[in-house]
Amino acid sequence: MLQLTFFNVTNGLIIGAFYALMAIGLSLILNLSGVINFAHGGFLVIGGYLAYTLRPYIGFWGALLVAPFLTALIGLAVERLLIRRMYGRDPLYSLLLTFGLAFIIEDATRQMWGANGLPFSVPEALTSPLSSEFFFITGYRMFMVAMVAIVVAILFVLLRYTRIGVRIRAGTLDLETVSALGVNVRALRSLNFAVGIFLAGLAGVLAAGQIGLEPTMGDGLLMPSFIAIIVGGVGSLTGTLLGGLLIGVASGLTAVVFPSASEAVIFVMMALVLLVRPRGLLGEEGMMT
Amino acid sequence: MTPDLQKRAAPWLHVAALAAIWAALIAAPFWMPLFGGYTALGSRVLVLGLAAMSLNFLLGFTGVLSFGHAAWFGLGAYGAGFVLKWAVLSSPVAVIAGTLFGGIVGALLGMLLVRRRGVYFAMVTIAFGQVFYYIAFQWSSVTGGDDGLRGFERQPLDFGAFRVDLLHDDRAFYYFALVCFAIAVTLMAFILRSPFGRTMIAIRENERRARFLGIPIEFHIWAAFSLSCFFMAFAGALYALLNNFADPRVFHYSLSGDFVIMAVMGGMRTFWGPLLGAIVFVVLQDYISSVTVNWMSFIGMLIVLIVLFFPRGILGLVERRTA
Amino acid sequence: MSTLEVKSLTKRFGSLVAVRDVSMTVAKGELRAVIGPNGAGKTTFFNLVSGFFAPTSGSILFEGRDVAGFSAHERVGMGMARTFQITEIFPELTVFENVRIAAEVAAGYRLRPWLSRADTAELRRRVEETLALAGLTGKANRLVGELAHGDQRAAEIAMALALKPRLLLLDEPTAGMGDQETYEITQLVRRLHKDGNLTIVLIEHDMRVVFHLADRITVLDQGTFLAEGTPQEIATNDAVQTAYLGKAA
Repeated sequence: MLQLTFFNVTNGLIIGAFYALMAIGLSLILNLSGVINFAHGGFLVIGGYLAYTLRPYIGFWGALLVAPFLTALIGLAVERLLIRRMYGRDPLYSLLLTFGLAFIIEDATRQMWGANGLPFSVPEALTSPLSSEFFFITGYRMFMVAMVAIVVAILFVLLRYTRIGVRIRAGTLDLETVSALGVNVRALRSLNFAVGIFLAGLAGVLAAGQIGLEPTMGDGLLMPSFIAIIVGGVGSLTGTLLGGLLIGVASGLTAVVFPSASEAVIFVMMALVLLVRPRGLLGEEGMMT
Repeated sequence: MTPDLQKRAAPWLHVAALAAIWAALIAAPFWMPLFGGYTALGSRVLVLGLAAMSLNFLLGFTGVLSFGHAAWFGLGAYGAGFVLKWAVLSSPVAVIAGTLFGGIVGALLGMLLVRRRGVYFAMVTIAFGQVFYYIAFQWSSVTGGDDGLRGFERQPLDFGAFRVDLLHDDRAFYYFALVCFAIAVTLMAFILRSPFGRTMIAIRENERRARFLGIPIEFHIWAAFSLSCFFMAFAGALYALLNNFADPRVFHYSLSGDFVIMAVMGGMRTFWGPLLGAIVFVVLQDYISSVTVNWMSFIGMLIVLIVLFFPRGILGLVERRTA
Repeated sequence: MSTLEVKSLTKRFGSLVAVRDVSMTVAKGELRAVIGPNGAGKTTFFNLVSGFFAPTSGSILFEGRDVAGFSAHERVGMGMARTFQITEIFPELTVFENVRIAAEVAAGYRLRPWLSRADTAELRRRVEETLALAGLTGKANRLVGELAHGDQRAAEIAMALALKPRLLLLDEPTAGMGDQETYEITQLVRRLHKDGNLTIVLIEHDMRVVFHLADRITVLDQGTFLAEGTPQEIATNDAVQTAYLGKAA
């Protein structure tokens, strides 16, 4: 029983790490620019498919490195061409825009790479399990968690200690003041968006290694990302991280007792948070408007 | 423009337009075939148009961004379906039951929502919708799961002296739906012209000012939200009757998105805009998906175009001209 | 009993103290001006009194009643009305419609689904009365968003008046206006002060307006109370001169 619990909790942490990665990207964009990026799952898909295309030329590690950057560049282009025009308007329009984009991305992906699933193989070195006892913790899954941990840590360090990071954090709280202080807010938003998309692209490459490629692979991650943000607290990146991990673990734990409800539990958690602490675990008061 | 303004700007124009709209709706089964349409399509447009108008009651007139409103639509549909399948073989009862089901649940859950605004409100509404999607999908013993709720059909209306066969007579169902539509729409217009309706518009125009006029914002938003849920569920119940079927997709955020697009495309700040948007959307969707496999790209690009260049929608443009 | 009594009011935002230990008493029917250099905490003070946010410490008594715990809209119901530094109106509605909403709320109609003919007529009469008071009768059917700055302010004041308040808080009503508009608003406020049973507290930067209208003046500087007195007393107060450092209107 303990073995099973451990298995499920670990599983949960791994899934949670994934949710967190997606949710953090989404949260970055939401906090600074007030945009709900419905197309976030689409960028995950782009990341995965780009890796697939690049892989024959630059190998797995090359693809892992390059694909997220390329995806971020695409995101940057989208931000400058389209999303930028939505700032300052009713949030409805940015929501609709990304909603429409999600459609376009999904269809374009289908068009370019076909509707069927594609395999994405991962280097031998990564796939072997750590030990026969912990057979379920395959190297790849540990690798995924490690990657997420590294990237998130780097992100937090950047946000904390670099000038740009400070500006992004300040901008989240009070964009007007930041602008008045002479910071180029447009560039800041673009950069922030690109970073968020980078994370989505990375998630795509990692996911590809785990479940292969499919045009709709981003869909299943969008909702948990939203819920991670709601649970962890709007406006707080740490909260989002925590939220993602929590719902992942909760999901894993539930799978021990009630396998069919493991997905439902994240909704239950959201409902609980809304009832008991609407601003989320680490959310700030007044960030909700 | 508020409904009052519309009236004042050119009263005769307003009355003429209204007469034209109702004439077109009443005569639809007769003129639709001339354009390649058919009565059941008209019923579909009516039901979806009502849904879009119900959403717009909240979105366009109160300024509240709900992107998960299909949730109440779905509850109305499943509610009507449950009644017809297991309880009472009566179309009106099914419709009323569906309406109450969706409306009451919406009103209750709405209490959790009203502290939030803008994007955060939208996020939670999306999540709520997905909760119901998930339940409909998983609880297959009750809801039929992915296959949907089946095994029920709309019942004829028994007026004692005569019966109206709603099931087999498309035209009869169309007029049934039209009567329902008329009731809902009249009620909506009535509310919007009332002092309460004006507080809704005030909240949309300037929430802070509304608050400092003594309007308890959270309560009024909750009230508007709840009313729109009832209207939405009403449309959903009709939808179930239309299809004799209800499936989880009726809760999905993409349907919510469709309703938003209909409202925006037709004109969010106008009363009849969403109906127009529904007509255009349904017709386009039908046409495009029959012509190409890439209909998703087209809908996506249409959305982007509207957002970039026609945010006021069709009727919104027209209004600008006549103002 | 004074209309407004504020005791040791303090508001902290993290480590920033916007208002520190401010006390004042405004008598019924008085027109009090609150002045001070930029950043003196004047608008924060209004925000505290009107219920925009709660104080860190201190109390606010409206007509002898402690308003702590009452939300902004509840305070409006108690008899407070305010205007904002950046005019807050309903831009896509007409002047008439703007004021009507205020009148409807004041009459207790905000939840009503329907108004009788008599009620509608009575409401209309009240709105027109308020519009006349504010000098906006000729512009009743214009969209407020399209009016000149001064008229928008007048419309906002009309909305506040329609609430039949006993305390009117005006936040820089002549900000950004030219001489003519300033004059008109000043005359409007004067009329309101003379005719109504109204207590008015006015934040202003334009000293001409202040000295023309005020019964008493309170000076704030850096969030603290600096001085209070009649216009004469304040005009000759050295500390006040220093605080402004030559920054006259």
